[in-house]
Amino acid sequence: MAEVEETLKRIQTHKGVIGTMVVNAEGIPIRTTLDNSTTVQYAGLLHQLTMKARSTVRDIDPQNDLTFLRIRSKKHEIMVAPDKEYLLIVIQNPCE
Amino acid sequence: MLLRTITSQPKSISFPGKVKATQTRGYFGANQSRMAVSRTAMILPDMKSAEKLNSPTSRTVTQVFDANGVDVTPRPLYRSDTHVGTAKPSKLLTSQEGSRGSDYISSYSFYQNTLNPSMLGQFTRSVLGSSTVSKSSVSTTESITEDLEEPSYKWERLASFTDLRVLRTIPGKILKEDLEKTIEIILTETETLRLFDLPTVMLSVESEEAEKVSQRNKNYEILCRNRLGNDLYVERMMQTINGAPKNKDVQCDRIIKEDKGIMSTAWDLYDSLNALELSSLPAKWPAADSRSRTNVAAKPREQRAPGSTTEKNSEASSLMDIENVILARIHDDEEDRSEAILKSDKFHQDLFFMERVLMENIFQPKLAAYRQLPVLKEPEPEEPKEFLQGKKVEEVEEEVKKEEEEEIEISAEQSTIPANLERLWSFSCDLTKGLNVSSLAWNKINSDLLVVGYGHFGFKEQKRGLACCWSIKNPTWPERIYQSPYGVTAVDFSIGSPNLLAVGYHNGTIAIYNVQSNSNVPVLDSSAFPLFSESPQKHLGPVWQLQWIEQDRGTTGDDKREILVSISADGRISKWVIRKGLDCHDLMRLKRTAASSNKKGGEKEKKGEALISRQAPGMCFAFHPKDTNIYLAGTEEGHIHKCSCSYNEQYLDTYRGHKGPVYRIAWNPFCHDVFLSCSADWGVAIWQQETLKPFLSFYPTTYVVYDVAWSPKSSYIFAAANESRVEIWDLYISTLDPLIVNVANPGIKFTTVLFAKQTDCLLVGDSDGQVAVYELRNMPTALDSGRGDIIDTLLGPKSHQPG
Repeated sequence: MAEVEETLKRIQTHKGVIGTMVVNAEGIPIRTTLDNSTTVQYAGLLHQLTMKARSTVRDIDPQNDLTFLRIRSKKHEIMVAPDKEYLLIVIQNPCE
Repeated sequence: MLLRTITSQPKSISFPGKVKATQTRGYFGANQSRMAVSRTAMILPDMKSAEKLNSPTSRTVTQVFDANGVDVTPRPLYRSDTHVGTAKPSKLLTSQEGSRGSDYISSYSFYQNTLNPSMLGQFTRSVLGSSTVSKSSVSTTESITEDLEEPSYKWERLASFTDLRVLRTIPGKILKEDLEKTIEIILTETETLRLFDLPTVMLSVESEEAEKVSQRNKNYEILCRNRLGNDLYVERMMQTINGAPKNKDVQCDRIIKEDKGIMSTAWDLYDSLNALELSSLPAKWPAADSRSRTNVAAKPREQRAPGSTTEKNSEASSLMDIENVILARIHDDEEDRSEAILKSDKFHQDLFFMERVLMENIFQPKLAAYRQLPVLKEPEPEEPKEFLQGKKVEEVEEEVKKEEEEEIEISAEQSTIPANLERLWSFSCDLTKGLNVSSLAWNKINSDLLVVGYGHFGFKEQKRGLACCWSIKNPTWPERIYQSPYGVTAVDFSIGSPNLLAVGYHNGTIAIYNVQSNSNVPVLDSSAFPLFSESPQKHLGPVWQLQWIEQDRGTTGDDKREILVSISADGRISKWVIRKGLDCHDLMRLKRTAASSNKKGGEKEKKGEALISRQAPGMCFAFHPKDTNIYLAGTEEGHIHKCSCSYNEQYLDTYRGHKGPVYRIAWNPFCHDVFLSCSADWGVAIWQQETLKPFLSFYPTTYVVYDVAWSPKSSYIFAAANESRVEIWDLYISTLDPLIVNVANPGIKFTTVLFAKQTDCLLVGDSDGQVAVYELRNMPTALDSGRGDIIDTLLGPKSHQPG
């Protein structure tokens, strides 16, 4: 458990990382470094996107599954590690 | 209207016929059965029969007759059956014995015939004849009207009938004899019952009546045609009396509708199909995960970690505490689940990947340069390079230092841009700050995995030691951390089982770790067994070099067996075999060589110390790349001995050339006759196997050379690390000056070098705990003639040079 905390802390302190959050399947944040409203907003939107992405991947091949999702935009990169129970979201500014 | 009140007779249960017997005029037949029948028959055509079947016998019935005595009693719309049921039993029982029994029977039978042919069997015997008579008499006369009313009668009759039937089955007394009596049941065929008769309206053309029918049809057609305008036919309208309709409303419960939709996708179907298989698996993942986490956490850590940043930090107790605290909170379930999520293995893995991805983002240019991939250009300017210093793991023994080859500055003539080292990044973290890098090694299979041993060379500077496995993909945090109270002086990955890592410590112990598992505990430890600590097998001095060697067993039939060879300051070269534990055999005991004809001053000094030890501390060794029986060993005295595994007492040859401890020996990977050595006498020497004197030697600086390595790409190029700088030499270009010189920051010594195998990169470890990765840029392209010849060409013209 402490190791998880430590890894999370390390991730948060990496260069360019704007925010890290872990939300459960209902969208309730478990751990977050951003404020609540932003977290909830991200969680809701990314949840839908993740579902869509997963549906796409599995429609093509039902034995496949989504493991990681990265969205690169002009300003940041959003990285999502989805799971049935939770979403791990990290927002990074890659170029700083 | 004539009104007559009729009290129904006790015996007439629900037979309307019975009731009506008193009322209806008409057939008062002598035959009672007939009467019963005719009663019903009379009822039917009348259609005005007063009360119907359900009038209970005990009830007074009001009947209405019109002027003609016709019964016009209004019938209720709804009849209840309950009266029928309740009234019946008594009637039946009495009637059975009564004179009317036959009536009933006949009536029963009548109704049976019309309603339920299957029940006929029960009463056939006694009743058949009469019933058929009655039936036929009725049917012929009143068939038409009968049909109209029959359904309603049928319904009531049925109800009554079934009840009656049930009741009839209750006999007076069943005697035992009755039970055992054989009962004859005679089955006879009944007459054909017509349940439904729909006469056809079509005739075959060939039948007898066909002509008549067709004639009639034609007549009819003619008639129809003649109808129009014919005087015989007059159309006249007539007003019919409409009956007064009666509205009846019924309210039913509201039907609640719900819309449910689902999008069926390919994976949904697939999941549902597999759901049956998966349903048997226990759905206890939170419990399982938390259990696994606690189990993992409960493993004892090998050493205390001041920074408490080892992989398996969570002790079971602390885990339990956290859990208790959390459970005490309000939202227990939610907290449990979120904790379970955080503790799950999947989450851990996701974190791991996330970190790697982040690293990739941050270090993408560097990693791309490392892997010689095109670098993604960001719109914004790239960040400045980080100072990641590659740590090279080669065992560098402090006391034994080979003579460094003299490094001569090379002026870049090959290209406009001189060959240079570009620093990409460095592996370092908080844990490793301040430690001295003593050894570097690549994993044999995973070329991204690097192990770095941290430990000080000098006896007085001993601090805690660390062996870290780093991955190229994450330069900020090591993948595995193995701590120990002693400094690490040698590391190597196994070839045969690439997950085994051998670590040699300053106190002479050797530990073997399995990097696949997350635990910190070594798989095998030469210090763990008390046997070892007392046995002469354990090394008494720091283990300066470790290497896994795959040895051909040759004639013994064994395939290449892997052994671990270690050399240590107690003057022994031992080979360790992993059987049940670490088994150690001495390959060689390095004896101090007696002063030979070319005496060295140093030896004489050591002679004086012979009392302490007759053994010369070994600093390094190198097995011949082709013939794994032959190896070279460098000692603190400055001698390099060529030894064979077959002899453990004698040297085959001794190469004398260095005046100080030889820190590193390396065979040329292309030309197997040539090897390289570096020593504390500031010099680097190139030797040829047959010559006992160095073939080339370099003394570029006045600093101890800790490490040398050949480049895997070219047989001319090698790297040397001395205290102040790293030099890359290219013998083809010049033997006087190094090709590239990279000066260290002040205060930092370069201690180890290691070439990366596939890429043009060099890892340099320093005394501050950093391993920097440099990229060799603009290196002169190697000539593509046979590599082996290259050294010979060097040898040829340069063989005259003094060693």
